[in-house]
Amino acid sequence: MNSLQRIQPPVFPADKIVIPEAKSFMLSNGVPVYLIEAGTEDIMRLEFSFKAGQVNEDLPLLASTTNRMLSEGSQNYSSEELNRVLDYHGAFLNMSAEKDRAGIVLFFLNKHIEKVLELSREILFRPTFPETELNSLMKKRLRWFHVNREKVQNIAIDQFFESVFGKNHPYGHQVTEHDFTGMSQVLLEDFHGKYYTPDKMAIIVTGKIHERTTSLLNEYFGDLSSKNIYIEDSENVIKGERKKKIHINKAGTVQSAIRIGSSTINKRHPDYPGLKILDSVLGGYFGSRLMKNIREEKGYTYGIGSSVSSLDLSGYKTISTEVGKKNLYSAIDEIHKEIRLLQSVPLEKEELAVVRNFMSGEMLRMFDGPFALAESFKSAWEFGLDNSYYYNLVEKIRTIEPDEIIELAKTYYNIDELYQVTVGAK
Amino acid sequence: MIDYKKFSLDNGLRVLVHEDTSTPLVAMNVLYDVGSRDEDPDMTGLAHLFEHLMFGGSKNIPDYDTPLQLVGGENNAFTNNDITNYYLTIPSQNIETGFWLESDRMLELDFSQKNLDTQKNVVIEEFNQRYLNQPYGDAMLKLRPLAYKVHPYRWPTIGMDMSHIKNTELEQIKKFFFAHYAPNNAIITLAGNITYDLAFNLTQKWFGPIEMRNVKLRNLPVEPLQTEERILIIEKDVPSNALFKVWHVGTRNDTDFFTLDLITDLLAGGESGRLHTKLVREKKLFSEINAYISSDIDPGLITIHGKLMKGVDMQHAEEAVNDVIASLLNGDRISDEMEKVKNKFESSSVFSNTSILNKAMNLSFCELLGNAGLINQEVDSYRKVTPEMMLEATRRYFVPSNCSTIYYKSTRKEK
Repeated sequence: MNSLQRIQPPVFPADKIVIPEAKSFMLSNGVPVYLIEAGTEDIMRLEFSFKAGQVNEDLPLLASTTNRMLSEGSQNYSSEELNRVLDYHGAFLNMSAEKDRAGIVLFFLNKHIEKVLELSREILFRPTFPETELNSLMKKRLRWFHVNREKVQNIAIDQFFESVFGKNHPYGHQVTEHDFTGMSQVLLEDFHGKYYTPDKMAIIVTGKIHERTTSLLNEYFGDLSSKNIYIEDSENVIKGERKKKIHINKAGTVQSAIRIGSSTINKRHPDYPGLKILDSVLGGYFGSRLMKNIREEKGYTYGIGSSVSSLDLSGYKTISTEVGKKNLYSAIDEIHKEIRLLQSVPLEKEELAVVRNFMSGEMLRMFDGPFALAESFKSAWEFGLDNSYYYNLVEKIRTIEPDEIIELAKTYYNIDELYQVTVGAK
Repeated sequence: MIDYKKFSLDNGLRVLVHEDTSTPLVAMNVLYDVGSRDEDPDMTGLAHLFEHLMFGGSKNIPDYDTPLQLVGGENNAFTNNDITNYYLTIPSQNIETGFWLESDRMLELDFSQKNLDTQKNVVIEEFNQRYLNQPYGDAMLKLRPLAYKVHPYRWPTIGMDMSHIKNTELEQIKKFFFAHYAPNNAIITLAGNITYDLAFNLTQKWFGPIEMRNVKLRNLPVEPLQTEERILIIEKDVPSNALFKVWHVGTRNDTDFFTLDLITDLLAGGESGRLHTKLVREKKLFSEINAYISSDIDPGLITIHGKLMKGVDMQHAEEAVNDVIASLLNGDRISDEMEKVKNKFESSSVFSNTSILNKAMNLSFCELLGNAGLINQEVDSYRKVTPEMMLEATRRYFVPSNCSTIYYKSTRKEK
C-alpha cells in the first residue's frame, strides 16, 4: 500500500476534439434557423438574435431600452400577463443588448414549446412600448446606474471603452444621468421597426430537437414579413481618445480599479488564435503570469485577469483588476514587467505545455452541453465564421512555438499604445 | 431522475458516482464537513482562509493548479457557514490526475509560511473588494450579529474582523487541518463520463491509504429564541436608502424548508413575484427587491432586501413590504401562484441537472444532509406544499418579534 507513487501525475494523452455541427434551414420567409441537438434532458434553449445592438443606436440607451421594453406589454398581453404566463410555464427569459447584437433567449421544458413560441412572437414582433412602463423602467434604471457608478470597476470599464473607441462612437459613448430622460415610445418604435425585423433575425435552437420543432417554428415565425425600411449608413468612426492615461478620483475607496488595454484585431484576423493563446499566458487562467505574480506572489489583489474580445467593427484586449490603493502603482509596474517579459523571453517548454493543455480542456468545456454549445456556435457565427474557426484554434494551440508568442506580444502589446484607466481614492 | 451509486471506504470516506456518458468530461466534487460555524469566535475566517491555502501545495505536490491545467482540468472552491467545497472538471481520460491531486491534499498540506502570508493579503483584498468597496457591501456583515447573538452564524464566512486573519499562525493552521480535513469528514462525488468500477478502483488506490482521523466533535451553542424586534440604523454616503429584513427559520432539513422557500419565490421569484409586482411595478417604492431563504444546516434566515426609489420614506416602504407579506394570509390567488412557483422549481431543477458539476455538488450536499437520494425528491417536496401549509408558515415566522431590520440611510443630498 505504501508503495503508491504520489510524486508524478498520472497523465494520459488528450482525445481529439469533436465539435457538433449545426443543421441549418430556412423558414418559409427566409429566416435562418440553426439547430444543434445536445444533452440528455427534454429541454430547449431558444435564441432570437438581431443586429440591433448599441452600434445601431444614435442615442445612448436606445438599444438596451428597446430590448428591455419588449416584454413590457404587447398587442395581446400586458407586461404583467407576459411575465406571469412565462413564469407559470417555468420558462426563463433572458434579454440582452450588447455592442453589436441584441435579442432574447428562452430556456424551457419542451412540453411548453407552443406557449413559449406564441409569447416570443408577441414579445419580438408585437410590443407596444407603453409610456407608463417606459417611465417606470427609466426611473429604475437611473437608480441602478447611480449604484453602479459607485463601483470603481464600473467607472473604469466605462472610461476604458470611451478611451479606446472614442466618445463619439456607440462602442465608446458613456451613459450620463441626462440620457435616462431622453427615451420615448416613438423612439423605441422607430428603433424596433428598423432593427427587430424578420429579415434581420436568426434563430438558434439547442437541446432536445423534436420532429415537430421545425414545423412549429414555421407556424409561429414563417409567415412574418418585413417592411422595407431604408436605414442610412452610420457616419460614426472609431477613433481612440488622445489621452492614454486617465485617473478618475473616487473618494473613500479602499481599492483602486485598473483597466489597461487597447483596440485590437477580431476573430476574422488570422493572428487571432495566436493572440488568444498569448492572452491566456498573460492573464487568461488561474495559472497565468498576472495571477501568479500579482495575486499569488505579491497578494496585491483578490483577482486579476486579461481578455481579448471581438466586436463586429473592431476588437479589444484588456487587463483588469482591483488592488489595495497603496499598491496601485506597484501593480501597474508589475503588469508592464509581465508584458515586457513576454516580448523578450521565450516561454519554457513546461509553461507552454500547461497553456496548451489547459486551453484544450477549455475547448472541451466550450462544447459540452446545450448551453455552452449555443454560446460557442453563436460567437463564431456572428462573425460569419463556422467551426473551422475553432479547428484552427485547436491546431494553433497544438502547434504554436515560443518565437511566435514573442512576435505576437511585440506586435499587439506595445506598452506605449496601451490605454491605462485607474479609478480610486488618491 | 439522477441515478447514482454509493460506497464507503474503511477510513470512513463516502463516495457517490453518477454516470453520464453524454459528456467527454468528469466532475469531481470534494465536500469537507467544515465551515465557518466550526471556528473559534476569536479566530474567525479560518475555514475560508484555509480554502485558499489548499491550493498552495500538498505533501508530495508543490503546486495544485499546474498539473491539473496540464491535463486540461479546471477547478475552484467555496466556503460557507457549513461546508468547504472543492470541485474540478477534467477530460475523462485524465480523471486519475484529479484523484492524485485531491488525495494528496487530503493526506497532508504543505504548511508554508510564505503561502500563508500571501493568502492572508489575498483574503484581505477579497474582503475589501466584496464588502468595503461596494455600496451597501457591509449590510450583510452587520445583519448577522443583529440576528444571531450566540450561534456562530453571527459572523460571516470571510471573518468578523480582518485582524483575526492577520493574526493567524501556521500552528493554528496545522491544528485546523488535522481536526477537520479527514476521509471520515468528507464526501466525494464523481459525475460524468466515468464508470462505477473505475471510480471505485481509483478511490481505493488513492484515498484508501489515508488514515481515519480524530475529527473535532461539533458542539455549537444553540441560538435562543428571539423575543423582541431588533433594529439597526446605518447612515452612509450611498446613492439611496435601502431596507434589509431577516426572520429566523428552521434548518435545511426542517419540513418547513420547502414551504418557506416557496413563500420567498412567491414573493420575489422572477418578474411576476408579489413584491416585485406590487412595490416595484405598481407602487414604484423600490428600484429592486429580493427575498430568499438560506440553505443553512443549523436554523437559518429568510432575507428580504430592497433599494428604495428616490424620495420614498423608509417607514412607508417597510409598511408596504409588511402589507405584501400579510397579503399571503388572505389566500387570494394563492393556488394559481403556488402552481406557478412549483412549475418554476421543476424546470429549475431540470436545468440545474444539465450540468455534471451541479449534479456532483448537489449529490454531495444532499448526502451531507443525510441522504443523496433527496436530490430526486426535491421537486416532489415542493409539489406537496399546500396553501394551508403556506398560511401556517407565514403566520408562524413572519412576526415582528422574530425579525431584525437594518435601515440603511443615505446621507447624500437628493438633487
